[in-house]
Amino acid sequence: MLGEWGMTRRRLASDLAMPEPSMTEACMKPRVPGVSRRVFLAGAAGAGLAGAPYVLRRAEAAAGKILRIASGEADGTKGTLDPAFSQQDDDATRVALVYERLVILDETFAPRPQLADSWSTNATGDEWTFKLRRGVRFHDGEPFTARHVLHTYRRLLDPATGSPGRASLSAVDPKGIEAPDDLTVRFRLPQPVVQFPAYIANRFTYVVREGQPAEEYRTKGIGTGPFKIKHFAPGEEPSVFVRNDDYWRPGLPKVDGVELRSIPDGAAQVAAIAAGQIDLTWDLPRVGLARLEANPEVKVISVRTPYVLSMSMWVDTPPFNDLRVRQAMKYVIDREKMVKLVLGGHGQIADDNPVAPWVQYGLTEPARKRDIAKARALLAEAGHGNGLDVELQTSDAVIGFIELATLYQAMAAEAGINVKLVKSPAGEYWDNIWLKKPFVCSAWSGRAADEALSVPYLSDAEWNETHWRRPDYDKLIAEARRTVEDGKRGELYRQAERMLREEGGILIPAFPDAIGATRANVAGWSLHPQKFSKDFSQVEFTS
Amino acid sequence: MARLILSRSALALISLLAVSVIIFWCVEWLPGDAATRILGRDATAQSLALLRHKLHLDLPGWQRYLTWLGGALRGDFGVSLVADRPVLDYVRGRAANTLTLAAFVLALYVPLSVGLGLWTAVARGRAADHVVSVLVIFGMCVPEYVVGILLTMVFALALPWFPPLALIDQVHDLAGLLRVLFLPAVTLTAAMTAYAVRLMRENLIDVLDSGYVQMARLKGLPRWRVLLWHALPNALGPALNVTALNIAWLMGGIVVVETVFNFPGLGRLLVDSISLKDVPVILAASLLLTVVYILCNLAADIASLLLNPKLRAG
Repeated sequence: MLGEWGMTRRRLASDLAMPEPSMTEACMKPRVPGVSRRVFLAGAAGAGLAGAPYVLRRAEAAAGKILRIASGEADGTKGTLDPAFSQQDDDATRVALVYERLVILDETFAPRPQLADSWSTNATGDEWTFKLRRGVRFHDGEPFTARHVLHTYRRLLDPATGSPGRASLSAVDPKGIEAPDDLTVRFRLPQPVVQFPAYIANRFTYVVREGQPAEEYRTKGIGTGPFKIKHFAPGEEPSVFVRNDDYWRPGLPKVDGVELRSIPDGAAQVAAIAAGQIDLTWDLPRVGLARLEANPEVKVISVRTPYVLSMSMWVDTPPFNDLRVRQAMKYVIDREKMVKLVLGGHGQIADDNPVAPWVQYGLTEPARKRDIAKARALLAEAGHGNGLDVELQTSDAVIGFIELATLYQAMAAEAGINVKLVKSPAGEYWDNIWLKKPFVCSAWSGRAADEALSVPYLSDAEWNETHWRRPDYDKLIAEARRTVEDGKRGELYRQAERMLREEGGILIPAFPDAIGATRANVAGWSLHPQKFSKDFSQVEFTS
Repeated sequence: MARLILSRSALALISLLAVSVIIFWCVEWLPGDAATRILGRDATAQSLALLRHKLHLDLPGWQRYLTWLGGALRGDFGVSLVADRPVLDYVRGRAANTLTLAAFVLALYVPLSVGLGLWTAVARGRAADHVVSVLVIFGMCVPEYVVGILLTMVFALALPWFPPLALIDQVHDLAGLLRVLFLPAVTLTAAMTAYAVRLMRENLIDVLDSGYVQMARLKGLPRWRVLLWHALPNALGPALNVTALNIAWLMGGIVVVETVFNFPGLGRLLVDSISLKDVPVILAASLLLTVVYILCNLAADIASLLLNPKLRAG
């Protein structure tokens, strides 16, 4: 057995990474008659003997089409349905099935109404008034009104809640939120935020029902969304949702129920969609998709996103505190090759700028070309003519980190930069490595320009992974937020982007595409570039 | 035998206590705690403090251990720090899954290893012996995730006979259950069989050469009777011990297979809980594994005793 133990232990390191999923209680308890025809084994397997009797219970067969979806990240016992604590991809999926926000973003990250009908602002941009949609009801029949919105935002901003969403709403003063009438909500902001509607379209601001006990939000939350939660226990798969028959958008949703599970192993994910064990999945591995694309029973869907896959250096720590070193490290990157080899061609070239060129206010200038001679010259000028040693932290924590780091190591070597790779277990990475080491692989989900430029780069940003603390940069962002005129505002954001691109501590070689797949008989679904914005209400079976 | 069981039970209780102490402090010594794991990248100093307080992680370790021990002695294994659900709900459900799979594996493993052991011993030195021996050793040496992925590629994707993932919640009936568990069960059986077959073979060969078997043959007993009635029981003893170890391994050590087939078993629960530092779940699951381990060993010893009158007398 020694052989196997060796293998088992070797694999553990990477498995520890993913808090892995699972269902189980299905085996113990019969659920209420099910959405789908299913049977539960009871725990009679108690005797570990061959042929132990199974007690098979047949739940009632229900008519209807159940959409079986699977995320590519592990769900595990951390899972939640509470928007205030939404963190993993599976949380975002559950939240998006059950809840809705005032404002959503479209594919270019421009704001669109959802639970708000319309909005308006005063001349200075520090007072925003949202008119709410009439006739929307929560899953328990309660009419959707301003008090639920007030409750949602106050809860997020209350330090006692402990929601990470508080950091994402730092521009909102809880005392400044008011409801002039049942269907109007007004935000009085301490500082102008010209793009306020987009600002509140984040992953935490889904409207929860006031009056529901706080401990129910995690597993029994009541929202206004297209699906109602039917069964969810953290760590148990699948999460089961049923159609909300009173949904406010006519004719939606188109399926009768949804079952969500997670399949963190890429090969298993591909096998499951090919064999028809699931109907829809996303976060597929980018490399080796050709076979799936050739399968007539499967549709592969690829969407460009401004998802940031990066390597980040502390600009206040040697050797990265020397601008010439940072620039040399940018010049060694062959961006096209990165797209081809790290992303299997499923990605767009990036230019060390977290705002993608096709996103509102993005820079459209051609990306920096590889220039080894220039990199060498810059290094020599900085006193590293005989070579430079740096340590880059990487991990399995995010798909692509290892490939990115390995390829960067090879590219940098040509300019005399000796990159030593340090790999940490995925479970440790975000706790103990990221923000704690001077040169790390990092990833940021796709964001609109303002958020992409402020969340990691303002001087007082909690997640300032590059130690980028520049009052002149902060001033540009603050000024852009105050500027009502769109063209001028865009110019300010672009100025900030140029600054970051030229002097910042972040290397962004490429924007990976989001890749998903459905069975051939599934229609009406696409991936949203803002990853946590998911909409399954229009998905339908064509046969 | 009563004395054996009594002394083993006393030893078992001490082992369980020791295991709980060791595991609790090992987890304590690892960097980070459940609060940092839950909040992950979103952690701020304030939210961490709040969560630590809520989960009582701000209390000293010995105090938390004693609280846990007090509960455990009364049969209350506490609430998962991460999932906020009673620990037993998880462990019970996962254990049921794992036991179901283990039962299936044993149903394949026992007849297979006994049968192949007998066959290779009887046919020793002949082609059949060599072929089977090489095959079982191949099954043992190739890591189980390779076997699992190979089986999936052939019998789930190229030939759509079995589903690639063991999604047991999608099962409708017993036939479906067997279909869904077939590939993981075969993978595990392949990994386990070799050692038992080899042991059986060696022992049987020894026994078959022994004087009493010769005597039985000379008495004119039929060959099958000599083999099954006189030789086999004496050859089973060591193989039983190996089987006991294998069962213990099946309970918790098959994380790799659980991952390949997306099977919600005890092994993955344990790995998940360790990575999240969910102490109550880690403790409950490892104690359960310890109990299984102790019981399997005890059962193997008792079975050996029953099979071997010489040992019984002593």
